[in-house]
Amino acid sequence: MRKAFRFILDLFTQRHGIVAFVFFMLLGLLMREAPNTVRESIVSSVLGSVFYPAQVALSSLNEYRSVVDENERLKEENARLRQELYHASEGLEELARLHTLVRFDDKWDFPIVTARVVGHNPGRFLTTLVVNRGTYHGVKENMPVFSTKGLVGKVTKASFTHSRVQLISDPNLKLSVMERRTRVVGFLESADGHMLSAMVPTHAGVKEGDTLITSGLGGIFPKGIPVGLVKDVNRADLDVMRKLDVTPFQDISMLEEVFIMQKDPEWVIQELLDE
Amino acid sequence: MSKWLKAFVLFLLSFVLQTTVADWISMFGVSPDFVIIFVVAAAIKRGPASGCFWGFLAGFTQDVYAPVEWLGAHAISMTLIGFLVGQLEERFLTLNFPTKVGVLGLAFFVCDMAYFFFTGLEGEAVTNLFFKETLPECAYTLFVGALVFYLSMGKPAKHAK
Repeated sequence: MRKAFRFILDLFTQRHGIVAFVFFMLLGLLMREAPNTVRESIVSSVLGSVFYPAQVALSSLNEYRSVVDENERLKEENARLRQELYHASEGLEELARLHTLVRFDDKWDFPIVTARVVGHNPGRFLTTLVVNRGTYHGVKENMPVFSTKGLVGKVTKASFTHSRVQLISDPNLKLSVMERRTRVVGFLESADGHMLSAMVPTHAGVKEGDTLITSGLGGIFPKGIPVGLVKDVNRADLDVMRKLDVTPFQDISMLEEVFIMQKDPEWVIQELLDE
Repeated sequence: MSKWLKAFVLFLLSFVLQTTVADWISMFGVSPDFVIIFVVAAAIKRGPASGCFWGFLAGFTQDVYAPVEWLGAHAISMTLIGFLVGQLEERFLTLNFPTKVGVLGLAFFVCDMAYFFFTGLEGEAVTNLFFKETLPECAYTLFVGALVFYLSMGKPAKHAK
């Protein structure tokens, strides 16, 4: 047994590590070429058994450090909210009147689950978060995730005690958005896992500083969650479209708590997903 | 066995630093990459086989949190730099302090370019990432890496002989 172990170790360390290099490169290439279902099961099993417990412990460190800062911030926020409460109550009365007039049906009357971020990508391309709420707390896949500032992403994998959240910066998440002033609908994506961009028709006249919200189309995100500000308007490949550079309201590298909206995808989309 | 244990502790430490300290000391959204510093240091210290092993492990850990479609891209690029840096140290030259820092910078670029290649990113996306992410983070990582190399490997003048 010991000889066999020594033989394998020698094989890897002699000849300038070429055997080790070929072995690990092949392993990496196999993962690259594996079907998505296999990749998903590799990630889920490793995340659940090794990384989640480790990152729960780690996140406690960050949590301890942030308590003092948070206390200060909450005091300021409390003072500001008191001011805003008065204005908000007036606004709500007006909104109720408007809803009656236009028969609005996009109220968010879904239960909310508060979750703590316990893990994120240790590298530099932040596309996934792990939160400490799972199916035990009523979290399901495809539920929208947001913060006090705006949209964060959606739940892609819900385990018993934790869930994986796909962030809006993930290149695989395409999102239908609406510009608040012009009401034009476009789609938001991140081509590189870092910068957000949206495509809208040229005739809409979207300008720098305009606000993007979720459009409610697609069935996963309800209408009206703030997404980001238009930072720049550029020409797209097609002249009839404009490409918007978008700064998200929520800096996803600074997230500590998120809210999960217990909203199931609407039935048309659910049917498509089931298929 | 103890050197493996020591390396494992350093591996864990690099991830602890990356998920805690890196956020705290980030400037204008730019933070150093402690994981790549660890992989380069391991390859310099222990050679290409160790470089490959720790590179693969570090890359795979990062892959777990990347989009599922990109699984393996970090692992391949980190294995590549672990091997190349190990080869450089073992076969071509004894690295003194400034060269080690230079090799760290080079490894950073090679790692990012390999990552872009294996994830299939191209064109404008790569240009944007290169100027907005790779360059500033490489500079910050070089600064922190120099500090780490100086403190951990010490006595650069003597080592240069």
